[in-house]
Amino acid sequence: MGNLTVTMTDVNGVTRVIDNAEPGLSLMELAKANDVAGIMGDCGGGCACATCHVYVDAAWWDRVGAPDDIEASMLDMAENVQPRSRLGCQIKLSAELDGITVTVAP
Amino acid sequence: MDSQTQAKCPLSQDEQALLASGTLKDEAILAHPHDFYSVMRRGDPVHYDEQLGSWLVTRHEDISAVQNDPLTFSVNKGYHTQQARGMQDEYQDILRREGGGYFPDAIMSDPPYHTRIRKLMESAFTAHRVKELEPRIREIVIDLLDSVTGKGQADSVKDIAVPLTIRVIVEQLGLEHGLEEKISRWSVAVTAQIGRMQNREQMIENARQICDLQHYLIGKMKERETDPREDMISDIVHAKIAMDDGSVEVLTFEEAVSLIRALLIAGNDTTATAIGNMFYILATRPDVAQALSDNVEDDRFLTRFVEELLRIEPPVRALSRMTTREVTIGETTLPEGAHVLLVYGSGNDDETVFPCPRDFDVSRGNIGRHVAFGGGPHRCVGLSLARMEIKVMAREIIRRMADIKLAIAPEDIRYVPTVATRTIESLPITFTARAA
Repeated sequence: MGNLTVTMTDVNGVTRVIDNAEPGLSLMELAKANDVAGIMGDCGGGCACATCHVYVDAAWWDRVGAPDDIEASMLDMAENVQPRSRLGCQIKLSAELDGITVTVAP
Repeated sequence: MDSQTQAKCPLSQDEQALLASGTLKDEAILAHPHDFYSVMRRGDPVHYDEQLGSWLVTRHEDISAVQNDPLTFSVNKGYHTQQARGMQDEYQDILRREGGGYFPDAIMSDPPYHTRIRKLMESAFTAHRVKELEPRIREIVIDLLDSVTGKGQADSVKDIAVPLTIRVIVEQLGLEHGLEEKISRWSVAVTAQIGRMQNREQMIENARQICDLQHYLIGKMKERETDPREDMISDIVHAKIAMDDGSVEVLTFEEAVSLIRALLIAGNDTTATAIGNMFYILATRPDVAQALSDNVEDDRFLTRFVEELLRIEPPVRALSRMTTREVTIGETTLPEGAHVLLVYGSGNDDETVFPCPRDFDVSRGNIGRHVAFGGGPHRCVGLSLARMEIKVMAREIIRRMADIKLAIAPEDIRYVPTVATRTIESLPITFTARAA
């Protein structure tokens, strides 16, 4: 158990505050471990299925940063993509992201 | 459209007749299935195919729902029921007697066991790791294409698609080159066991091929036990699985054989099928070939081209599940123990999700929703490798070949008789060589 805090609004609009997230986990892994609705993570974190699509809160976007080419091309094939779309499996939790807020894409 | 409106959509008399008499046991329907898929989706979306003894799930939404409920719909029971169905005892006896053992497919299992096995495979196939393999795969592709482009004609399945995918997987696994024909035969034999079209004689012959395959792989595994190398066989032979309680387990011998067998077969036959389908499309839809040629340097186009290819012609036609309790899919209630086929070919053709499904349209806004790789926890683990192989192939083919045309009449194209995939057996083409 870690001590990072992550706020996730799931696909049904329910907001969850997870305050024991471990550094090194991906957002996708954290969401799966906490049964956050709408995060499937089918490919296991391989940046290959876009079933962990999230919108990063504006306040956190600069710290999270834009996707790399491989992730961008996967996102390109997903639905409901927005300017702050990312794949949860590609965001690794760290002290720098303590407090991050994201919304699960439909 | 919701399921009710769709289920009530009236069928014409001809369509009703097709729904009543159609079966995936029919080789003509297997070769050209889209009309049958369409009448099932509209008239009876979870259709019991009496001759197969299986429920065909044909709508995209229902396929997705089944995939996301792996405990109600067991892959372990579904897959192993489908294997050599009707002749299972004899099949398993042959493997035990002559093939070093009968090894159930460890990856064709259910959570939580499946989750551990799957994790082991996932790390090898991430999109980022696959990207590192691309330069070497491009070399293999170019090498192979250079050997055929000067001739102006080729069997695009037997001379290009099949040897190419075999060379790639052989290299990944660390096997020796030069065994293409054998590996091709082994692949066909393994897939035939879930294809539902074998008679007893064919089952026995295919089982013997699998015995041969297993002896070969077991030999390689023994070599890697004492002499590990940088290849996937070594990775699996020496794999450590982290358990929830913090302990570490190794794979059993049976599990390891089954996983290496799965790696060799699963990514091989299917990717070759996709490349064969690509040649068919390039040869019969000049507009698509032209668009590919015009956009050959556009990475985004190429990526979407591959995805649309997989949507419009998914290599895997249908895979199995078995119900572990009574359950309702859409409006149809299935008993416990019902054998279910998720008909990906139909899900990808579902007009409620993909408008004008027979149009090849790389600009679809929901292109990533196709089910060619399945979905849920059993989604194809090698999907990034498959995509990359097809993409490299598409690019290098269109750089080297123009005016690709079929060298046989479309009605003479034969498809492998199998429920499991939709695979062109042989596809002779002609083309003009371009200076690459």
